[in-house]
Amino acid sequence: MADYSIWVLEYAAVEKFPFSVMMYGPQHQGTRKLPYAYVLLKGKGETILIDTGYDHVAYGEQLATAYGVSNYHGPREVLASCGVRPEDVTSVFITHAHFDHMGAIHLFPKAKFYVQKSELDKWVWALTLSPEYRFLTGGGDPADIVRAVEAAKEGRMICIDGDQEDVLPGIDVHLAADTHTYGSMYVTVRNDGAKDGEDKWIFAGDLIYTYDNLTGLDPEAPQIVPIGLAVGSQHNLIFASAQMLKSVGGEVRRVIPVHEDRLRTTFPSRLTDRGLQVVEIALARGEESRVG
Amino acid sequence: MDKKADSQADQAVLRYVETTRPVQQLISQTLTQVGGYALLLMISRSRAALAEGALASAREAAMRASEEVRALVAPDIATHHHHHLRGAAETLLQACVAALAYSRIDASEQGDALVRTLRASSDHLRTTAHLLPGFELVDFGQACCATHAPKRLPQDVT
Repeated sequence: MADYSIWVLEYAAVEKFPFSVMMYGPQHQGTRKLPYAYVLLKGKGETILIDTGYDHVAYGEQLATAYGVSNYHGPREVLASCGVRPEDVTSVFITHAHFDHMGAIHLFPKAKFYVQKSELDKWVWALTLSPEYRFLTGGGDPADIVRAVEAAKEGRMICIDGDQEDVLPGIDVHLAADTHTYGSMYVTVRNDGAKDGEDKWIFAGDLIYTYDNLTGLDPEAPQIVPIGLAVGSQHNLIFASAQMLKSVGGEVRRVIPVHEDRLRTTFPSRLTDRGLQVVEIALARGEESRVG
Repeated sequence: MDKKADSQADQAVLRYVETTRPVQQLISQTLTQVGGYALLLMISRSRAALAEGALASAREAAMRASEEVRALVAPDIATHHHHHLRGAAETLLQACVAALAYSRIDASEQGDALVRTLRASSDHLRTTAHLLPGFELVDFGQACCATHAPKRLPQDVT
C-alpha cells in the first residue's frame, strides 16, 4: 500500500504549443496541448506540492492575451478537487525558479519551500547581468523574488545543496545542474518507503516536457531527446534524463512530466467541471479516489 | 475636448510612456537585484558576501532611477502613474539602505525593514504596470512555457 496519494493537477493550458520546444529537433511538426500543472502528495501527516503554479492576478491577462494560456484556475479551486486548501499545504518542492513553477509561493501561507541552492545563487547572479542576458533569467518577475524574500524571512525558504535523501519521509531530491535551469531538481517519491522498491515515482519538473523526451519518436530506435530549451547543456539534460529513467528501472511512465497531456490516458483521470484534468498516480491507505 | 486637443493629449502620453519605460525597467531590474541579494542574505550570510559588489551598484542604479523619475514631466492623465513610479524608486532606495544595514546587523528589525521596503517598491511597480499599457514587468518571451508566441503586447492584439 502506498504511503502517499499522488495527483497531477492541471491549472491552465496552452492548447497549441509548438512541439519543437517540447522536444529538440522536430521543427514545423505541429503543436500539442501543453498543460500547466503541479503535483499534490498527501500522506504521513504532510500535504505536499511539487511546484506552485503562477499567480493569475499578477499577469494572467498578459499570458492569456499574448501567449494563449487559457483556463487558469487558482490553487483554491484546483486543490479543492482533492479536498485540500492552500493553507493545508505543509511543504513545497520548487523544481526550478520559472514563473509557472514558483510564481505563487505567496498563496501557500503555511508551507515550507525547498529549492536548490545553486538555482537561487545562479539566478541571482544572472539577474545582476545587463538586459541583453535576460534569456538566462527565463522571464523572471521581481515580485517572485520579493515573495521568496518574505518566505525566507519567516524561515520558510530552505535551500538544499545537491542530492538529499528523505527530505521528507520517503521523498528524495536530486540536483540536475546546468540543465533546463542552473539548479533544476527532480523529486523521487519512494512510495513503499523502500530504498530500491518498485513503487517509486519521479517528478521531473521541466527536465522533460513529454514522455517522448525519454523514448524519441521512432519506436524501432528509442533514444533520449532533450527538451528544446536549456540554460545549461543538452548533454546534461540527456544524462539527467538517463539517470531518472535508470532509477525507475527504465519504466518510462514512472518519470512524470507535468506538461505531458498524455498523463490523462496513462493513469486514471477525470475532467473537472472547470475543464481541468485530475490525474491520479497513487492512492494511500484510507484515501478516496478523486477520479472515480 | 476637440480632436486637436485629444491628439495633443495622446502625444503627451505617448512621449511620457516612451521616456518613462526605460526608467521603470531600471527600477524593475534593480529591485530584482536587491531582492536577490536580500534572498541570499536571509538564507546564508556567507553567500551574500559574494554579492556585496552587486548591492553597491544596485544602490547607484536606484539613486539614478530616483533622480530620473523626479525629472520626468507627467501629463495630467499620467500623474497617478508617476506617483507610483516615484514611490517605487524611493522605496527601492530605502530597500538598498535596509539591505546594507541588514548585511551588517543580523537583527529582526533590520530584516523587517528590508522586507517592508522591498514589498512597497514591488507593489508600486506592479501598479505602474497596471495603470498604463507598455509597462509590463515580465518578459514572457524569455519564459520556457511561453516562448512559442511572437512578442506581442496586449495593446497590439486586435
